[in-house]
Amino acid sequence: MSVAGFIRDVLPLLWSGLISGCLYGVGALGLVMVFKSSRVVNFSHGNLACLGAFVVYGFSSGSLLSLSWGSAVALALGIACAVAVVSYVLIAPIVFKSDLASTIATLGVGLILQGAVQLVFGADIVNLDLPVPRLSFSLDAIRISSYDLAVLVVTLAIVGGLFVIIERTKLGVAFRAVSTNPFACEVCGLNLRSVHLFSWLAGAVLGLVAALLIVPTTFLSSTTVPSFMLQAFTAAVVGGFSSLPGAAVGGILVGIAMNLFSFYVAPEFMNTFLLGVILLTLNFFPNGLLERAIGGRV
Amino acid sequence: MAVSDLAQTSKAELSVRGGRVDAARLSMLALVAILLLAPLLAGGFLLYSLSLCFANALAVLSVSMLVRYGGEVSIGHSFFVALGAYAVAIVEHRLGLSIVVSLPLAILLGAGAGFVFAFPSRRLSGIYLAVATMALALALPEILIGFEKFTGGFEGLYIAQDLIPGIPKALQRYYVALGVLVIVCLALAHFRKSAQGLALLMAQAQPRAAEAMGITRSWARISIFTLSAALASLAGALTGFASSTVSPNSFTFFSGVFLLVGSVVSLNRLSLPAALVGGAFITLVPTYLAQAGDWVPILYGVALVVVTLVANAGDLRRFLPRGRGR
Repeated sequence: MSVAGFIRDVLPLLWSGLISGCLYGVGALGLVMVFKSSRVVNFSHGNLACLGAFVVYGFSSGSLLSLSWGSAVALALGIACAVAVVSYVLIAPIVFKSDLASTIATLGVGLILQGAVQLVFGADIVNLDLPVPRLSFSLDAIRISSYDLAVLVVTLAIVGGLFVIIERTKLGVAFRAVSTNPFACEVCGLNLRSVHLFSWLAGAVLGLVAALLIVPTTFLSSTTVPSFMLQAFTAAVVGGFSSLPGAAVGGILVGIAMNLFSFYVAPEFMNTFLLGVILLTLNFFPNGLLERAIGGRV
Repeated sequence: MAVSDLAQTSKAELSVRGGRVDAARLSMLALVAILLLAPLLAGGFLLYSLSLCFANALAVLSVSMLVRYGGEVSIGHSFFVALGAYAVAIVEHRLGLSIVVSLPLAILLGAGAGFVFAFPSRRLSGIYLAVATMALALALPEILIGFEKFTGGFEGLYIAQDLIPGIPKALQRYYVALGVLVIVCLALAHFRKSAQGLALLMAQAQPRAAEAMGITRSWARISIFTLSAALASLAGALTGFASSTVSPNSFTFFSGVFLLVGSVVSLNRLSLPAALVGGAFITLVPTYLAQAGDWVPILYGVALVVVTLVANAGDLRRFLPRGRGR
């Protein structure tokens, strides 16, 4: 294969990997926020995002109601936040007692949400697009579409907003304090519950945003979004599972690696590839690939 | 054979204790006796369901064992179950050999796969293992479909060979599954009292004390996962034998989660009745609620949340009056 041909192949792969990687990163940020504050791995993350995406579909396509896309999203955000609060309240009694039991309980919540989606929306496969005009232009070998730009803008806005909240606001300081030393926070009179609730709500919003942006590239069904979350979990593991920048960068790395793997090796073994990535990362970089580059802080 | 062992040891202990009647042991014997006689009364479909119950009970035991001895959650044990089931099917198709050969092979394969899988996260906390098992459960269907040459793809494979020729198939499935289940339960009870079992429990409860005695945490984690995966693979071999077929349909992402549901519902206990409750819950509920298909995940989810909350109920009381944790 010639070098020019190789570059012509690789550049678009890198670009689309970057775009989908941003979304894996956003999904992973939600997982990491919940884990950092409450030490729980939220296995209902994908199911909640799936429910949210289906709510947007149901309320904007006419299958339940035909609202505008914006109001359907607002409604979905409200429902996702309400479900996040309910699921946190459910595990609140055991969250300090056992990480393991709380993690199992989130699986239970995930199953309930999965069943609810299947009951209301059936096993249908539907399309859910973003309301952006379909435009695209080429830059050398890379084809950039309006969808790509929308993803980049939303991701930057979300990550920037999150960064400002965590670095600049009182809530953010509390979040950082709780994730460093919950016991000391409690001694100082900080309400751990409100910090937990903040991270669970942020997780729900991040998950829903990631789901809404990833769905246009594939399709929406009761299983696609939960299995999309495997990418988010992998991104979180690559980033060390307790580092927010790590999760974002991990997402992009996973996105690019997946694109290269599916182009050059075998697209039908995607999940197996991710399993391999997780096992190799755990073995050789147990604290994430970026441990040395960024250090441990938030 | 195993049952007569149980009876003899039980009798021996009764006489040692000066004739004091051990109610728990007697009721266990009664349970085994009822299960032994069930084929006289039960019809074909019930017998088939019960055989599957026994196989699933073993799979539930493997998950419970991991929770009890390792303090770890797995939602990917369906992988090891599938490994055992496909080992039986592929050995029969390629080599024409029966479960006599493939059952031990399945156990070895499961142990090997469990070791390889648990090794990378040996020094990390259990949540990393849980995340990795999720990937394992999601990778399983595509592996089964992708390696079509060996696994038969979407259609799967049939398992036709008998263990003992001449005995009706339904009875063979039933008694083999029941026999292995009873043996495993006895072995687990013995393991609890053995030096190895105590060492693993100590490594979990008092890691530093265990380390002082030469039992490292990572060694304990790897060995319990290896044992658990071997047991899951044995369960899978019996599932394949009992249902006479293996296909990707029976190993979706959710089958791994359901095994955990069975384990939680049986309170992660390692006794025969607990295993039967867990196995029956995940076998019979989908069978008898087939019309209410979409309600099954909801029912399982509610069971998972409720049992987990109630099992940690000590904390509930502490939580209520103050409104804050700790």
